[in-house]
Amino acid sequence: MNNKQSLQKQHTSKVRKPWFRTFFHYCSVKWNKLWNGHPPDYVLLTIASITALVMSVPIIYVIWRSLFAGSERWLKLLDTRIPGLLWNTLSLTFVVTALAVTMGVALAWFVNRCDLPGGKTWQWLLALPLVIPPYVGAMTYIIILGPRGWLWDVWGSQPWLQSIFENYPINIYSFWGLVFVLTMFTYPYVFLIASASLRKMNRNFEDAARSQGYSMQSIFWKISLPFLRPAIGAGAILIALYVLSDFGAISMLRYMTFTSAIYYQMGSFDSVAATVLSMVLILITIVVLWIEASTRKRTVHQTSNSYKPPELIKLGRWKTLVMGIVLAVFVLSVVLPVIVLVYWSSIGISMGAINSKFWQYTWNSILVCGLASLFSMLLALPLIYLKSRYRSVFTRMIDRLAYSGYALPGIIVALGIIFIFNNYIQLLYGSFILIAIAYIVRFLPQAMQSGEASLNLISPRIDEAARSLGHSSLKILFKITLPLIMPGVLAGGALVFVSSMKELPATLLLRPPGFDTLSVRIWVEAGEAVYHLAAPAALLVILVATLPLRWMLNK
Amino acid sequence: MKTRNIVLMLMLCFVMVFAAACGSAGSTNNEVNQGGAAEPTPQENTNGEAAVEEPLSGELVVYSARNEKFVDALLQKFQDETGITVKALHAGDAVVNKIIEEGNNTQADVLISNDVGSMEHLRLQGLLQGSEPEGIESIDPLYRAEDNSWFGLSARSRVLIYNKDLITEEELPQTIWELTDEKWKDQFMITRGGNGSMVAHVSALRNEWGDEKTTEWLTKVKDNAGAITDGHGDIRKAVGAGEYKFGLVNNYYYHQQLNEPSDNNVGALYPDQGEDEMGVFVNAAGVALIKGAPNESNAQHFLEWILLPENQKEFSFASKEVPLNPEIQTTEEAKRISDYKTMSMPLNKLGEVWLDTKELIEKAGLDLEIK
Repeated sequence: MNNKQSLQKQHTSKVRKPWFRTFFHYCSVKWNKLWNGHPPDYVLLTIASITALVMSVPIIYVIWRSLFAGSERWLKLLDTRIPGLLWNTLSLTFVVTALAVTMGVALAWFVNRCDLPGGKTWQWLLALPLVIPPYVGAMTYIIILGPRGWLWDVWGSQPWLQSIFENYPINIYSFWGLVFVLTMFTYPYVFLIASASLRKMNRNFEDAARSQGYSMQSIFWKISLPFLRPAIGAGAILIALYVLSDFGAISMLRYMTFTSAIYYQMGSFDSVAATVLSMVLILITIVVLWIEASTRKRTVHQTSNSYKPPELIKLGRWKTLVMGIVLAVFVLSVVLPVIVLVYWSSIGISMGAINSKFWQYTWNSILVCGLASLFSMLLALPLIYLKSRYRSVFTRMIDRLAYSGYALPGIIVALGIIFIFNNYIQLLYGSFILIAIAYIVRFLPQAMQSGEASLNLISPRIDEAARSLGHSSLKILFKITLPLIMPGVLAGGALVFVSSMKELPATLLLRPPGFDTLSVRIWVEAGEAVYHLAAPAALLVILVATLPLRWMLNK
Repeated sequence: MKTRNIVLMLMLCFVMVFAAACGSAGSTNNEVNQGGAAEPTPQENTNGEAAVEEPLSGELVVYSARNEKFVDALLQKFQDETGITVKALHAGDAVVNKIIEEGNNTQADVLISNDVGSMEHLRLQGLLQGSEPEGIESIDPLYRAEDNSWFGLSARSRVLIYNKDLITEEELPQTIWELTDEKWKDQFMITRGGNGSMVAHVSALRNEWGDEKTTEWLTKVKDNAGAITDGHGDIRKAVGAGEYKFGLVNNYYYHQQLNEPSDNNVGALYPDQGEDEMGVFVNAAGVALIKGAPNESNAQHFLEWILLPENQKEFSFASKEVPLNPEIQTTEEAKRISDYKTMSMPLNKLGEVWLDTKELIEKAGLDLEIK
């Protein structure tokens, strides 16, 4: 029937002892039962298992090392560093998540359910901040609101302002400055997810509520919001995980969380302290994931038959106010930053910032990101194929392992890669391939998600037909499935490419001598306040990131 | 139709990237092979003299803790003049520990550092190797290691940069200890304790005051400082712009701020100049040769090259530091080292206490603090 069993038969026929035969038979039965009667091709299974293992090795290694840090080191850090970092990290994560969720849900509601002038155009205009990496956003707001920024210039020329406030009242280098920047550039995660589920929401429930005499307000709180719960949860978890892992914006605005502390410890190569802090950060991340998973169980499912699209709400006298809010968010999160970048880029270009070095950095970025994206697409194939066609405990485990690098901060992945390559695979240490590996570990799940979405649209019947004609699952994958899911796979590759372009902390830690990428240059030049060199690179990253946005919006 | 075009474009891109990656991967393999080939033949080190005379080629891996703006032009000049490809990693003070971490997997040939303490620390760990580069005698033995595995090139004195619009020289604290005074609360800036210049300075203070008083200074200054930054560049800019009245920096940051087109009404106070006071702490920036350097002959060549007078000048001028070699001209804004009282501690003493100092700073909580 298939290779495995014939192999077993060969084995068992050689074995004389009967108990041995029974043992093998038992194993083979168990194995077949695990796969519901048709186990997958071995080549595929091996590739997928190895990929999944490699994905999780850096993190497992960091955890392993932290366990050997010694209790003295742990106690010392628990005593001195960890309480403060814990407070910094958790308060920031909580406040940013709460604000971004509120903003994202409110905006999604305005755009999808109200008769907003401009209508659906706002759907993608408000998603645009997604393409601006928060560290670029932080840079632009340092330029605008910084201690001697554009606003300060305006301030100086307006005596009446000075008479109200004695001093320039804005300090961007503060908790609230950072909250503002992170919220402005992360809310689209919630906005997109909430929009998608608002569009799917069935009007029948609201009609029923209205017929019972509910006001619009109570309909929102009692009907719409509970339906949005899964969307809010998914968005909130994305934002919380982002804040936990952000390094660029946080360090530019001079704040300290676990991620930046790990960077500085690792930057000064205090690897023991870095692993201890990483361990705590891993625990926090797991708690966040667990909270989300345990609250998700209480979700409501709406029936999709008798679906009616919801009715637009007439805003009436509120129109000006709502329009003002939407416009303000758009200006603050897209227009202003882009103006700043264009302004400084034009200065940079006139000063010759686009020189051979700039193209070298660009090429370096394209090289590592292209490599990461190419291999992500290749490695994602066996994983998603097994997951969707051969459901079992085993494939689910493989799937979970492959996601481990995605959920955890990039800095920890980089840490693990440094340890492993410096100690065991020295030949590759000091080559840019390490950066590409970090990107793959980080972003492979993006390629998987996108490929999976396409694969789930293709009926397994097609595979079964091919199998009945005697094709192996490997052959089916490459000859039949792959051509059908190609657009999805390529879209996944593009996503990996863009995410890699924006990635900062792992790139900073892993870059070999003489190999800087665009994101590294943005960070270095912005840190030195050399904005005319940082802006062109930032603009280029943003332009590249807009390319797959259309696909993301359709999702 | 449209999607197909995009698909084709993407495919084309990836084929290109892949081809290029294969090409580059090939070249990295070559580099590794070069490094690998050098390792199992230690006798090559013994006839290193002969190696220097070979036509120059290949590469030089430089780890630099200095601001990259200060070293880029210099390294470019070296590359242009010798034909050796320079691969530089500019990663601040992190490079010192990176060298330690890579102890049995050496990547770097040469270290350019801002701090004698860290270089001497590396030497004591057995991670540097001695040499006798031509021209080494132009540097005072006070400013180089006993085996010349590192040598200083420019001086960095710790001064208070202040904004002349906000405060006068007389009003400023006249000693480093006065920074602990409550009356300066939130009016000045310092760098975080992980900064190399800060580590060295604290080492010198320990030598002068002992651990207890130094810890007290660290804790109080941490609370008193209005802002704690990662580097000194932020301090000179912020003080120049009037965000804070003064800040603790290395003297050349003052020289740099003077040369800014705006916000340049700044002064520098050399602290602790009184009769029985300790004087200014002077550190040096310089270069070190890494043990087991993969491109050793190129590294040797670099050391001799940088000791040429014009390159010594270039080394300090880019950052407006003061050359240690008295024969070399100084920038006009700079005070000569002989113009002010300096601390008596010999610089290579800094190496022994380097780790302890970092621990002391960590205990005081200044190591990661940024505000």
